[in-house]
Amino acid sequence: MTALLCLLIAVLTATSVWLMLSRSLVRFLFALVLVSNVANLVIFVGGGLEPLAPALVDTAQPDLVMANPLPQALVLTAIVIGFGLVAFMLVLALSSWKVFRTVDIDQMRFAEPEPDEATTSQLEEPRA
Amino acid sequence: MSWLPVACLLTPLLTAVAVFGSPRNRKLRGLLSIGGAVVLLLLAIWQLMRVSSAGALVVQPGGWKAPFGITLVADNLAAMLVLATAAIAVAITSFALHDIDEFRAEAGFDGFVHVVLTGVVGAFLTGDVFNLYVWFEVMLIGSFALMTLGAGKRQLDGAVKYIALNLVSTVLMLTAIGLLHGLAGTLNLADLHQVMAARENDSLALVVGALFLVAFGIKAAIFPVFSWLPASYHTVPITVSALFAALMTKVGIYALLRIGTLVFGMELASAASLMMALAVLTLLMGVAGALAETSLRRLAAWQVMISVGFLLLGVALGTPAGLAAALFYFVHGMLAKAALLLIIGLGERVGMAERLAESGGVAQLKPWLAAAYLFTALSLAGIPPTAGFWAKLAFVEAGLGADAGTAGTVLIVALVVASLLGLLPLMRIWNEAFCKPSPAGFAPAAPGQVPIHTPSASIFALVSLVGVSALIGIWPTLLHSLAEAAAVGISTPAEYVQVVLGIKPEAGS
Amino acid sequence: MATDNVAQASHNPESKSSRTLGALLAWCMAIACAAVFAWGLTLIGTIAAGDALKVSVPWVPAFNVEFAFHIDGLALLFLLLVTGIGTLIGVYTGAYFRGDARLPRLILMLMAFTAAMLGVVLADDVVLLFIFWELTTVTSFLLVGFDREKASARRAALQALWITAAGGLLLLIGLLLLADVTDTRLLSEIIAAGTVDIGNPQAAWALALVLCGAFTKSAQMPFHFWLPGAMSAPTPVSAFLHSATMVKAGIYLLARVQPAFGEHDVWFYTLTCVGAVTAVWASMMALRQQDAKLMLAWTTVMALGILTLFLGSNERIAVLAAMTFLVVHAFYKCAMFLVIGNVDHGTGTRQLDRLGGLFKALPVTGTVALAAGFSMAGFPPFLGFIGKELKYEGALAIAEEPLLIAMAALAANAMMVAVALTLVRGVFFGGQVNSPRQPHEAPMGMWFPPLVLAVGGLVAGIFPEHLLGGLVQAATSGVLAKETEVKLALWHGVNLPLMMSVLTVILGVLLHVNRVRVHGLLDRLVATLPFTLDMGWDRFLHALDRVAAAVVKRIQTGRLGHYLMVTFVTVVVAGGAALATTQTWSAQSQQAALTPVVVTIVLLMMYAALVTAVSESRMLSIGALGLVGAGAALVYFWYGAIDVAITQLLVETLFVVLIAAVLSKLPRLSGDDHTNRRTRIWHGALAMCTGAVIGLATWLVATRSTDHAVARFYESASLPEAYGANVVNVILVDFRALDTLGEVAVVVTAALAVVAVLSRFNQKRDVENAGEGA
Repeated sequence: MTALLCLLIAVLTATSVWLMLSRSLVRFLFALVLVSNVANLVIFVGGGLEPLAPALVDTAQPDLVMANPLPQALVLTAIVIGFGLVAFMLVLALSSWKVFRTVDIDQMRFAEPEPDEATTSQLEEPRA
Repeated sequence: MSWLPVACLLTPLLTAVAVFGSPRNRKLRGLLSIGGAVVLLLLAIWQLMRVSSAGALVVQPGGWKAPFGITLVADNLAAMLVLATAAIAVAITSFALHDIDEFRAEAGFDGFVHVVLTGVVGAFLTGDVFNLYVWFEVMLIGSFALMTLGAGKRQLDGAVKYIALNLVSTVLMLTAIGLLHGLAGTLNLADLHQVMAARENDSLALVVGALFLVAFGIKAAIFPVFSWLPASYHTVPITVSALFAALMTKVGIYALLRIGTLVFGMELASAASLMMALAVLTLLMGVAGALAETSLRRLAAWQVMISVGFLLLGVALGTPAGLAAALFYFVHGMLAKAALLLIIGLGERVGMAERLAESGGVAQLKPWLAAAYLFTALSLAGIPPTAGFWAKLAFVEAGLGADAGTAGTVLIVALVVASLLGLLPLMRIWNEAFCKPSPAGFAPAAPGQVPIHTPSASIFALVSLVGVSALIGIWPTLLHSLAEAAAVGISTPAEYVQVVLGIKPEAGS
Repeated sequence: MATDNVAQASHNPESKSSRTLGALLAWCMAIACAAVFAWGLTLIGTIAAGDALKVSVPWVPAFNVEFAFHIDGLALLFLLLVTGIGTLIGVYTGAYFRGDARLPRLILMLMAFTAAMLGVVLADDVVLLFIFWELTTVTSFLLVGFDREKASARRAALQALWITAAGGLLLLIGLLLLADVTDTRLLSEIIAAGTVDIGNPQAAWALALVLCGAFTKSAQMPFHFWLPGAMSAPTPVSAFLHSATMVKAGIYLLARVQPAFGEHDVWFYTLTCVGAVTAVWASMMALRQQDAKLMLAWTTVMALGILTLFLGSNERIAVLAAMTFLVVHAFYKCAMFLVIGNVDHGTGTRQLDRLGGLFKALPVTGTVALAAGFSMAGFPPFLGFIGKELKYEGALAIAEEPLLIAMAALAANAMMVAVALTLVRGVFFGGQVNSPRQPHEAPMGMWFPPLVLAVGGLVAGIFPEHLLGGLVQAATSGVLAKETEVKLALWHGVNLPLMMSVLTVILGVLLHVNRVRVHGLLDRLVATLPFTLDMGWDRFLHALDRVAAAVVKRIQTGRLGHYLMVTFVTVVVAGGAALATTQTWSAQSQQAALTPVVVTIVLLMMYAALVTAVSESRMLSIGALGLVGAGAALVYFWYGAIDVAITQLLVETLFVVLIAAVLSKLPRLSGDDHTNRRTRIWHGALAMCTGAVIGLATWLVATRSTDHAVARFYESASLPEAYGANVVNVILVDFRALDTLGEVAVVVTAALAVVAVLSRFNQKRDVENAGEGA
């Protein structure tokens, strides 16, 4: 089962990378959602997999072996944080569209415009 | 006294809450923000004094002892860096008062600054790897907000790049943490040291370590994953640039250093030559960027990368002297970078344009600003009598040290090349922006005309940064002894483990 | 080269107070220098007797640096030189810049320089020496660029700074190596330790690096070209820094480390060759200059070459020649510079072809020029004559290659005679003046200082032993680090050096008479050179910029897609290289069995992911994303993570709703975002590799048997100690409450940030135009 889940992780990662490398900010957003799931699954799978009882202490059954609770707690925290980040990215994508009228990240060249041919020779210092 | 780390962590957080809760008044929010920073500074001084005199402070919030609860550890390194952060915070918040416009302030600029500070202080103080991730996220989301507030086209574009690449780094870090947890079954750094040190030649540790290296490498802007930095730092208001330049990459380096020495000690040692190569490449890339750049703010962004390269040189050397040099440079770099950007911020009011060629005449209008720049530039270039000189001296001595070997020679050659080539762009700014007559026609006020006024809070911010830097230049002993103690602390993880877990480490080191 | 931009007093209200302030500061400088000079004079007796003065105060114990100072004969000679000339320069500058609002700035820099220069020659600690050394570099940078409105001055300042700072950095490393080898940081102890064995590579490097430092500072070939450029500085600055003092710091250093390295052949041959070539080349260059000041600058380079040449030998008489010439040169060269300053002031030009017959208009300056010129040419009874005689005597006394050295000295001296004749005869006698201003004599403050130097050169020439004997003897002893007897006299009798002197004068006069032809010859010679080093500097900078720009353009492309690609390549390379070291790939612990339900879910999730990858429909993509999320929730649920499953489901639903809402405002997905076929293959391969790295790493970790002691503690302590049955909840709110605090901070901040960003759009629709400048 672990092998299959690892394969799932690999496929999800590959898909996310593929989407991120496409030049669309919207697809980047999709990738982000996917890749958050990857990280959570890695924590979860890495913590050991057993189809076991939930991590609820039951005084009636003191011998009950329960699922490792620590990865669960970590994944919970990560899901919530991930939600915050993705939500923000979503708004950013929206703003980008409104401002640039494009979601093609290769066309967003405002912070680093194409360098002019005469980069350094614009300096006024004399050159031989 | 063990409440001090908690207080250091909560002060910026509560300040952020107070700012967001206060009426939308520029002045009130600004003062709250400065107040919070000052409180943090006092606490940080107190904390460092305690740590220096009585050893590391360890707090187990909730009373769960390590490794079960999350531990906050203020050792020499963390306490020193929290203090440096607090000092930067005071300067930056004061500067923000007149630099940040109404709109940004109303949207909660000062609050977001303190969210960032919370993340930074938390990252320095935490002794738990997952908790480190959480504080990284706090810092990151705060920085995202600062990046996007008031977006014009340029700023928005920079923000998209900054955010996209940092999110990749974050996810990578989370993945690496998941793997590390799966591997070791624990999250506490001291406990992780115990578990990982007990393994021998574990290639899996190398794999996880490699993922951490890439994740932190992105945060720290190490070659080749640095691109977000020069793509975004120049697009934000100068206060934000200064804050980021002083803190952001440094947190990445800190995490690399902390996790590297505590958890992946053996792996880091085996990758020493790789680290040296990365350091040299980062340095050269920063220098190349600075040389090729004609825009003032982007040139400053490349300067940040140069300092990352220098830091990494010392880390890669790995000897106690090398680490001490790097940590000395760490603090000096924070102060100098922040000062450099504030100078540019003030200069832009009196004749600095975006392009160097269009700038000029600042020295004539504001001689004191020129003096501050010259001092800072010399400090960055490592020319005496500045703090930067002592950092360079420390690097050279570490490189000449008997334990440095070939890596020491590489370090010295890289240092010489980078210092000399790095001097050119710094002096180009001096010649072009300060000395050259202003092409835009800025001129000293004629009689009867009001001269261009610089607000006193902004002057205070700059003078405090340059002043501290100058004091370090005149009397580097204090900072050096702190850096040395911190270097000893990270090169002997056994001590850290003992303070946190209260036991003598069994295996290794 | 244009003339100094002096006395254009700006008429704003500040200038009057700054004029007074400037005059005051100038006098302060003169008086302070004079006081130190007087103190230095009182020391001659003690130090000539062989006692050195030492002071040491701890400064930075962390770096093993002390305020350690040491005055021996050599240091004292320099101290007197610096302060003596400093006094005169203080007076002269006050007069030269009278009424100029920039005077206070200039004087403050000069004072800082004087202090730094004194530090260089007095420092005993090597790091302290370096600190002062760099301070002289920085003050020199500021002074060369003093006329900051001029592009040429800025360029020259940067050039001078860069070359001397480069040498300085190498010097620092060299000094530290030397300190390592000799096991002491104090120069006095390094000297006392005697010869250093350069068979040791550390010592050999120390020697090479120290020489780099000295040669750059003292403008030796091939680093000499910054010095003529440094003539952009105001004339008194050039006279002080770039002739009499700062450029001699390198000479001082060579003299200082002479006991450590002087015995080695490599020292002798390096210094001799570099010095000789520098001296001869510089005097040739001096002959062809049109600008009187540049002519003097080149003769300074020549003098520095001669000094280097003589310091190559540790022969007593050679060192004596160097020390004497040091003093001689300071006297006449400083006077000459100030004379040219007066000419510039009085006529508005320094171009030799526009000057002539000025003696009538500038009688005092002309007299000074005569005296200084005679000294420069080495005529008796001026001090220059003694200097020249000693040079020949020293050259002939050097055991190895006496002829070569003597010939070099002879050639350089002959050209010096020609230069002196050109400067004195050409400017003050004969010829026609054609100057921008009506020639007039300089004020007293400007002719008095050079007059002092000229008279001093004459008197010292007549009574050398009384005035200079003790000092030069002390300096020679200081250099050689042993007691040395010397005697200075004007007349040595008829001997070989005297013959050579006569020959020098004859050659010099011949050169002067044929100056037009010589000039033409030299011009043709220079024209055949492929490029000059000064041009080389510009090419160097330009090439540096071009290479840097090319590198940056390739790496920092400005395209996010490229940055992401680089990031993933890094992940693959780093992770892949680490994975390659793995020895066992098989599972090391018991694995959960395949469950049909989960297998189905996982396969569905994979399918959904692939759909997202290729879909061109927004709604289909969102649906597939939702499916992946829901699948993950089911996996969590199946393996006992109920809380996680519920949260995941909630969050995923929210995502789908939010994204669907936002997406309706975004454009449609375009079909092919991966530019072309090759990119598609490359991106696909990269994606698969990244997936493989992460997947394999997870597999290796998940199949390890790990001791989850911490988790077991949570399970056992949850109910009894933390009073909670749901262990996951207890971890979140109690054991790891700090995580939750941070998590809340993230979510709240994200919400606030979203509000802030959106409010921008609600408030300002014209965002595309606004905030551009911010």
